[in-house]
Amino acid sequence: MENLQELLHGFTIAVTVPHLVLMVIGVLLGILVGVLPGLGAPNGVSLLLPLTFGMQPVSAIILLSSMYWGALFGGSVTSILFNIPGEPSSVATTFDGYPMARDGRPTTALATAFGSAAFGALVGVILITFLASWVAQVALAFGPPEYFAVYFLAFASFVGMGGAAPIKTVVALAIGFAIAAIGIDTVSGSVRLTMGIDELVKGVNFVVAVMGLFGIGELLVAVEEEFHARGVSSRIDWKEVFRAVVRLPRHGIALLRSAAIGCWMGITPGGPTAASFMSYGIARRFSRRGRHFGTGEVEGIISPETADHAAGTSALLPMLSLGIPGSATAAVMMGGLMIWGLNPGPMLFVDQKDFVWGLIASMYVGNIVAVALVLLTVPVFAALMRIPFVIIAPLIVIICVVGAYSVSNSYLDVVMMLGFGVVGYLFKKLFYPLAPLVLAIVIGDKAEDAFRQSMLMSKGSLGVFFANPLVTSLVLAGLALLLLPLALQIAHVRRKPGERKSIAPGPEDRRSRPTATSAAQTPR
Amino acid sequence: MISRRALEIATAILTGSFGVAVVVSSFDNGIGWSAAGVDAGTFPLLTGVIIVAGSLYNLARGVLPGGTLASVPVAITTIELRRLAGLFVPAALFVALIPIVGMYVASAGYIFAVLALPRHQSLLRSLAMALATPLALYVVFERMFQVTLPHGALAAAFGL
Repeated sequence: MENLQELLHGFTIAVTVPHLVLMVIGVLLGILVGVLPGLGAPNGVSLLLPLTFGMQPVSAIILLSSMYWGALFGGSVTSILFNIPGEPSSVATTFDGYPMARDGRPTTALATAFGSAAFGALVGVILITFLASWVAQVALAFGPPEYFAVYFLAFASFVGMGGAAPIKTVVALAIGFAIAAIGIDTVSGSVRLTMGIDELVKGVNFVVAVMGLFGIGELLVAVEEEFHARGVSSRIDWKEVFRAVVRLPRHGIALLRSAAIGCWMGITPGGPTAASFMSYGIARRFSRRGRHFGTGEVEGIISPETADHAAGTSALLPMLSLGIPGSATAAVMMGGLMIWGLNPGPMLFVDQKDFVWGLIASMYVGNIVAVALVLLTVPVFAALMRIPFVIIAPLIVIICVVGAYSVSNSYLDVVMMLGFGVVGYLFKKLFYPLAPLVLAIVIGDKAEDAFRQSMLMSKGSLGVFFANPLVTSLVLAGLALLLLPLALQIAHVRRKPGERKSIAPGPEDRRSRPTATSAAQTPR
Repeated sequence: MISRRALEIATAILTGSFGVAVVVSSFDNGIGWSAAGVDAGTFPLLTGVIIVAGSLYNLARGVLPGGTLASVPVAITTIELRRLAGLFVPAALFVALIPIVGMYVASAGYIFAVLALPRHQSLLRSLAMALATPLALYVVFERMFQVTLPHGALAAAFGL
């Protein structure tokens, strides 16, 4: 009950004219970056970040989170109308969304997607409302060993459940850690890993990395596949919207199951992309009409969309209550929190009640604003897709360059951003996951500090990580997740001796057409 | 044309060299246990070793025949490579020019070059967009958000 009171108080903060205006701006900008290939939620949010430095933290987070919701919705628009996923997390929506739109039911496809997305987001926000403060309360008792164990669990779940090749995930994570270590060491004060470049003493800002990895990297991937924006009609038939939304409850089981998958993947940092693929795969396996998936099935839209938004929303739960972001975009937002002088983690629920509950309340309102705006603006943004890519691409390059420069007025940042772009392209091309890399850059320092403080407490004994039941179970769960891919591989080899191993179709298949069995196998 | 295998190998070498650089420079900070607890170089050393080991594994998977890599032999075709270069080379030149001519001139030149030279757009339209871009940057950044963009050595030479 206390939570509900806090929430009501939160609404009085979130539902004010300036904040509603910020939500509308955020959502519209979000839809814009969601629609444009090459700009996604992570860099949209990091581009906006420098502009929020002068704002109140609660206003700033409302702007950034609204942008996130907008981007999640915007990604689905292009998936359905153009078969071009504007966001990695909406790739699975193209499988059934585009065929349905092509068959002359674009409004049904869009309304189904938005309706189920809103449902997923709602479940995520309700979860945060009731669980976040409880988790934070538990976390208040955490010492450095517990914190390190939670970080470890978070990183291990990327390896165990992220869906990418485990060793590639490990390499991506370790690179992120190394980048996080560049600059002044917070514990000893010594300068690390600058490799002779004096300017690196200030460290590598995560915004620079995100701009390059997601911005330039995605642009390079996009330019390679020539775009054919042969969209279907984007006119919205409001009666059809109503009919599609009314029909949604018939798929109640799919909705609930997908929301559950999404929340789980959002809280344990699997992220929205993995969630939507997993949800689609499971729906396809369990649906009575599973054979028809890929031809415009309603549940083929509901499942990835619900999970995508449930994951995107609930990714903020661990960010707020533990200081561990559940997705790349949440990682960027958390970086913002630190810049605004807040300390993400359980103390927020004690010191910054207005901020936390203002944000949570704004998530309810923001998602409603997002659904309304995205439906109203579909034709406008669909028209945007018809601007030739040759014009959009250089503009995005300029935005990334200026964005990287404006972080700390440094030319070196711009050069590094371009370098990160090449890395981002290579990683995307070869299915190295980018989210764990960004996550490690943002919280690598904190994880390292937690480890070193634990070691100081125990005078160098690793036994501190097995000192009480809580920390032991966290560490063991982390180890289990870390070893999960290996165990699966061994089990598979045992079961089918002599057969060539092909257990990890992995994300390699994700971009191939869904007609193959790939989508059902990908999630792990 | 670049094969998937070549790309895997190149990337593994890239990540591996970064790992080696991390390992080498981590020795500057002291490894292991000292009076102040875990020394500053320990964690970087560990991450460096993990990067190197993981890269060696990925390298081996790239070199060895068979496996999943064989199913997608071509990673980047010649046409795709040309498109990639068409985006990246001008972008890199743009970034390289910023310290000399400044953000405004560089961005205008960049937009004009990528639109007018391959004849994607008419000369007039390219010129209009090339002029509009720095203007928009100026209004948004220097005016609205008070972020000074680099004016370059050229502007300095003119005493601007």
